[in-house]
Amino acid sequence: MHEQPQNLYYDREHSLHELLKEFDRVRLEQVLQGLLGEGARLLDVDGTVLLGPAHTSGGAQRLSFRLDFEPIGYLEGARVEALPAAVACVEMLLGAAMRYLMASAVHMEAVQADFTELQEKNTALQASEARYKALAESLEIRVHEQVETIERAQRQLYQAEKLASVGQLAAGVAHEINNPLGFVKSNLNSANAYLTSLQRLGELARGQQGEWQGERLVAAWEDEQMDALLEDFPVLLNESIEGIERVAKIVAALKDFSSIDRAGESCIDLNALLDSTCRMAASEFGSRVQLVTDYGALPKLSCHPGRLAQVFMNLLLNAVQAIPGDGAVRIETRSDGTDIEVRIGDTGRGMSEAVLARVFDPFFTTHDVGAGTGLGLTVARDVVRAHGGRIAVDSQPGVGTTFTITIPVSSHG
Amino acid sequence: MEYDEDKQRLTVKLVYYGPALSGKTTNLMRLHDFIVPERRGEIMTLETKNDRTLFFDLLPLGFTAPSGLLVKFKLFTVPGQVAHDGTRKAVLSRTDGVVFVADSQRSQGINNGASFENLAENAGRVGLDFERLPLVVQFNKRDVAEIYSEAELRERWSATPWPLTFASALVGTGVLETFRLLLQRAYPVLDSACALGARHGVSVETFVGVAGTDSLEQALSR
Repeated sequence: MHEQPQNLYYDREHSLHELLKEFDRVRLEQVLQGLLGEGARLLDVDGTVLLGPAHTSGGAQRLSFRLDFEPIGYLEGARVEALPAAVACVEMLLGAAMRYLMASAVHMEAVQADFTELQEKNTALQASEARYKALAESLEIRVHEQVETIERAQRQLYQAEKLASVGQLAAGVAHEINNPLGFVKSNLNSANAYLTSLQRLGELARGQQGEWQGERLVAAWEDEQMDALLEDFPVLLNESIEGIERVAKIVAALKDFSSIDRAGESCIDLNALLDSTCRMAASEFGSRVQLVTDYGALPKLSCHPGRLAQVFMNLLLNAVQAIPGDGAVRIETRSDGTDIEVRIGDTGRGMSEAVLARVFDPFFTTHDVGAGTGLGLTVARDVVRAHGGRIAVDSQPGVGTTFTITIPVSSHG
Repeated sequence: MEYDEDKQRLTVKLVYYGPALSGKTTNLMRLHDFIVPERRGEIMTLETKNDRTLFFDLLPLGFTAPSGLLVKFKLFTVPGQVAHDGTRKAVLSRTDGVVFVADSQRSQGINNGASFENLAENAGRVGLDFERLPLVVQFNKRDVAEIYSEAELRERWSATPWPLTFASALVGTGVLETFRLLLQRAYPVLDSACALGARHGVSVETFVGVAGTDSLEQALSR
């Protein structure tokens, strides 16, 4: 006979042996002996003795008992009259044992069935969780990509903003240079004409002799208005030299400014940087806006001069543009040794609360479309933050606006 | 099905399924009354005291084939209450055939439908092929008022592959007919698995004969 894995289903067939195991063997034998006499025995349907002595005693008789409808064993004993009652008793016991076994087994199966269902639900939940996790991860990647795209676009826009202010500067610088160039050219034309007069006088002097010739020379002198010419000539030349010097100054400032814009950090005096920036913006001020500077002594600051220059330039241009008629822009610097504070204030039209609240938002602009990128102050804030500092704004409509930049001296470098 | 060739035993499991109080236990009680004592045991009711979580009934039946094979039937009822699905699944496991006992009352249409869906679902969960499972649908309680007419029910079930029977288990009508029909439908599968006919001399008639051959009147008269 081959061994089969034990079938533990509640609806399996229960053997007599198995059912008897539910009861105490010694007690059961005592009960049977009490009912059926000393030699009482319980045998299975094949005649194997399960309870009682191994051998039958004299005068004993057998009666079969059933489980369900099927005879599964015998009771044997000398008290023949008690056999039917003993059989009924054993059948009741076996029925009770089977009930008990079935109840516990079906309970286990029911619990297992519920547990299996819970496990399935759990598996399904885990699967859906994994799906959401994967989705979340790919979402993160996509957000990352989007952020990169936006950052790239922003960098391009920053560049555009820079180019825009450079363009504005270039226009101002061109105007500044054009003006002296104009009068130098006009002066040189006048000088040319004066030279012709002098040549004519020279010819006269070389070609003629005699006393009366002195009179003709005097007449020609008068004719060519040589007194006025000699008076005007040095003035004209000095004016031209002055004009050329102005152009040279502008070119020097340009050179200064362009050398600032090299990438990388250096240790500089912010006051000097502000001066150089102001020189570049000078053309914007014109005669209507007065520039007032009030510099305090500053420790050297390790920074990106080019970027800070851009910040100052943005703030200066904004300040000038905020002043509708005559007014003043005031630059103040202070340091307590820990922080450097730069204030750039104007006496312009000021800003409303609503505008003030959004003034650092990217792409927010009060200028006409195309006139500003809306990034000037955003760039300014980002650059200041990159230096570990902060930028604050205070404004009152009709009174003016003041930006305050605070940068720690030793935040980096 | 549990088939042990060495011990010459075949145990067939049949389940009475259906909504609560549709008459599943009454069906078993009537079968117990109708079938001669030599072929049946007593109904065993497993019931926990305070709830019906473990509630089910078991009626053992059987006969000995010409070959000596003991063919034993175990008829189970499931707890109809919606909450006891774990027990229902356990009872349904490994079954060889199902009688779906529906309640004919018009008020019970929805319960019948829900219970039948539950049967189909649970059959799948315990690994039974519902399409091939021998199944008889019995509409019980034909003796009460406010019931669906036979014509209505036949019309409604006409598209399904399952045969309908109509019963009044309390009175006894239709109970034997239902059981015999299920035996008939269960026979082919068991025959092909255990060679009931060829090896054991059990024809479909012998097989169905466990329920006796008496007419209802004869059965009732005993």
